[in-house]
Amino acid sequence: MIEHSLGEFEELVLLMVAAHHDEAYGVLILENLEEKLGKKINISAIHVALKRMENKGFVKSRFGGITNERGGRRKKFYAITALGKRVLDNQYALRTSIYQQIPKISFS
Amino acid sequence: MNDHKPIPPKLAERFLLWFIRNDLAEEVLGDLDEKFYQTFEKKSAYRARLNYWYQVISYLRPFAIRKSRSINSNYIFMIRHNFLITFRGFKRYKASFFINMIGLSTGLVCALLIYLWVNDELTVDKFHEKDDRLYQVMQNFESSFGINTIEWTPAPLAKTLMDEMPEVEYAVPVYPPASYTFNSVVAIDNKRLKARAKYAGKDYFNVFSYRLIHGDRDQVLHDKNSVVISDELALNLFRTTENIVGKTITWEQGEFAGDYAISGVFEKIPANSSIQFDMVFNYELYTSKHLELQNWSYNDPCTYIILRDDARAEVLSNKVADLTKTHDPNAEGSLFLRKYSDQHLYGNYENGVNTGGRIAYVILFSVIAIFILLIACINFMNLSTARASRRFKEIGIKKSIGAKRSTLAVQYLGESLIMAFLSLIAALLIVQFLLPQFNQITGKQLALGLDSSLLLSLCCITLVTGLLAGSYPALHLSGFHPIKILKGNASTSSASLWVRKGLVVFQFTASVILIILVLVVSNQMAFIQSKNLGYEKDNVVYFNADSWNSGELETFLNEVSTVRGVINASAMKGNLTVNDHNSTAGITWEGQLAGEEVKFTDLVVDFDFFETMGIEVASGRTFSRNFSTEDSKIIFNEAAVKSMGLIDPVGQSVKLWGRERQIIGVVKDFHFESLYESVKPCFFRLGDKSMNILIKIKAGTAIETIAEIQDLYQKKSQGMALDYQFLDEAFQRLYASEQRVSILSRYFAGIAIIISCLGLFGLAAFTAERRLKEIGVRKVMGAGELSIITLLSNDFTKIVFIAISIALPVAYLLAKNWLEAFAHRIDLEWWFFIGAGALALIIAWLTVSIQTIKAARLNPVICLKDE
Repeated sequence: MIEHSLGEFEELVLLMVAAHHDEAYGVLILENLEEKLGKKINISAIHVALKRMENKGFVKSRFGGITNERGGRRKKFYAITALGKRVLDNQYALRTSIYQQIPKISFS
Repeated sequence: MNDHKPIPPKLAERFLLWFIRNDLAEEVLGDLDEKFYQTFEKKSAYRARLNYWYQVISYLRPFAIRKSRSINSNYIFMIRHNFLITFRGFKRYKASFFINMIGLSTGLVCALLIYLWVNDELTVDKFHEKDDRLYQVMQNFESSFGINTIEWTPAPLAKTLMDEMPEVEYAVPVYPPASYTFNSVVAIDNKRLKARAKYAGKDYFNVFSYRLIHGDRDQVLHDKNSVVISDELALNLFRTTENIVGKTITWEQGEFAGDYAISGVFEKIPANSSIQFDMVFNYELYTSKHLELQNWSYNDPCTYIILRDDARAEVLSNKVADLTKTHDPNAEGSLFLRKYSDQHLYGNYENGVNTGGRIAYVILFSVIAIFILLIACINFMNLSTARASRRFKEIGIKKSIGAKRSTLAVQYLGESLIMAFLSLIAALLIVQFLLPQFNQITGKQLALGLDSSLLLSLCCITLVTGLLAGSYPALHLSGFHPIKILKGNASTSSASLWVRKGLVVFQFTASVILIILVLVVSNQMAFIQSKNLGYEKDNVVYFNADSWNSGELETFLNEVSTVRGVINASAMKGNLTVNDHNSTAGITWEGQLAGEEVKFTDLVVDFDFFETMGIEVASGRTFSRNFSTEDSKIIFNEAAVKSMGLIDPVGQSVKLWGRERQIIGVVKDFHFESLYESVKPCFFRLGDKSMNILIKIKAGTAIETIAEIQDLYQKKSQGMALDYQFLDEAFQRLYASEQRVSILSRYFAGIAIIISCLGLFGLAAFTAERRLKEIGVRKVMGAGELSIITLLSNDFTKIVFIAISIALPVAYLLAKNWLEAFAHRIDLEWWFFIGAGALALIIAWLTVSIQTIKAARLNPVICLKDE
């Protein structure tokens, strides 16, 4: 059985991958997330999330060209797959539908 | 800031590369680098580096770590494969697995037990801290019999060594010598206990490292009125070892009887000390009662010394050689040093030369252990090479897809190592189970304490066994040519057949030698037990009455003689089962040639001694209470009369130490020493002090008679229990170590032959199986069962015959050598050898016949049907 579950942090990373379509890689995702969340994140946490989602088939990866600032190493770019997109959509739809059930009470 | 760009920490990078998954490495390192430069630009090189390290460490999580660190996982795979093949082999060929297992584990059990015993023997007396510098002064005496070596030394020696020899750090005299102790009664208030005492110089606890619980090493033996006791004795006396220093105890030993203050408490003497005692008194207390000990020609105490760090024992040994003569021109002995811890294993001297001692048994058993292990290893070699054909295909295929010879050799070695370690586990369980019985036989307290040295030796023994057992199969099997094997025309070469037969020959040779030696040893022991000693040792009870004066002794003997069931009662100095009699050359007789000197053993006895012991009188009479001047009479044994050359000696006179004594009788020779010695010339004189009491009891009345004697004794000695022994039992104890060797060697020989037979059994089973078709064809052609049995047995018969013919001469030489230590020994009868050979042959036949009969009775249809 393929696991279609998506953790909270994974969801954030997946969103970021989707946002930077085909141009997302480790440091980029890290910086953007740090900026959005306003807190420090471990780069290893990003890698764990990416690998796990790659195994589940939510993202796919490819190697880019050789770059100088990485000590001659290639970047690995991630892109969201159709399955990933669907899972994201489902998640979003689920949240929205539940959100809309919230009665219109004013929270003072 | 530096103009060159900083680079990420190399060490962190290398560390990351060491553990991270290969597919992650490039991406992670790249990201880390990028991040590093960013941090560096935004913050500082230091922060960047710190962050880099932090990030690297945070990759230490299961997801990122490589599953196996080796780049080439082939090795691990092959090891797993080898394990699998090994265990499948075990499962498939259960019979050979069990034969190997039983053989190897029995071999290991023997080796382990012997290892424990040998280890224990080797550590005796080695625990003293200054062991390497602890020496004992020994003395050689030259006489017409050759050189006699004794441990007794002149009493002033220790002090002289301390004063005159700068090499000596400490020197102490100890009395009584060697393992003897004074046994008497120690009392407080109303408690009376037996205890063993030594009298030792003040530095005793500096020389020997017996641990003091209370008291100071330098001080405890300073005072003539103080005593150091063991914690065991303290517990028995006071029920505590605390706060007893300073308390007074009463010691009841003859001339030393009196009150002594406890000055210290030492820990119970460890079991691996050859000297055992409960209390130590001051040595000067002893010399103060024996003023003759100022003299250099009296040899009483043992002298032990500690050399200085830089002193050499050989040098000092030469220096002290003539020390006695320089102090007393009449002294005859020459001194030399012996390492203290050598006394246990190298205690025998013959004609001034060390001839070993217990070390002989240590070596003997070590050799036996090695032989048994070897026999067990040979089983393994034989069975695995014999069954090589079963693995031809495996070897062929492995080799043709690229296995090197070394790979296969490693596989077979691994197999035998697994076997050896499985056997070790079984052996450990068996040893644990057998240890109580083994301890009973050896008279030791061995335990399987798993300390590091034992574990290490265990692993070593097992490793060596495994490698040895696996060596031949590994070399042999891995050498096959793959093409020949796969084509199916590989046959075991005649060379390997020879090796296999040679190994079986070796096994049986070893077994036959062991059987013969066991026969010889047990016959010799039986011979000694039943030998006519010249006196009757049965139903004689004896006990120590050292502390009694002559009057007490006399009345006690009189009272005891009236007890119903007592046939006779007497006393003697010393003991018939111990070689501790004094001897003297102080007898002169008429017709003695100038310079002729005979050493006579001096036996001091009481009235009725010869009657009590049943010693036959050759001529004349024995000491009798009916005559009043018996103190000036003397009795000789026949050996003495012969060596003096006296004719019709009764009535003649000799001079003993210058005093005239009339010979009143001659008794037949009897053995007053161990049977290692021949009967020496001896004389008897009357004495009445420091005696052992001997009582002859009517057969079958022992229990009630001894009870009565005990009552009498208790009345005399204020309630002390009688500590008696039977003479015949003591006599048996005299040969206890031979007895033990005899029993143990019987077991070990049995085990050796069982293991050999296991091997033969396996081999016979294999041969029968391989020749199954041949047997089938022969049976179809009309061969009878008997002819098939002979056919199959012939091979083995030949092998066993060769083994026997090698074993006989070897065993003969070994047995002869061993027997030479005894003055009275059995002849090597021909039937020992024929018997052992026949036994081996019969056992071999029986073993093989189980297989051959099974093969011969087989229905030929079964074995021929698939052709």
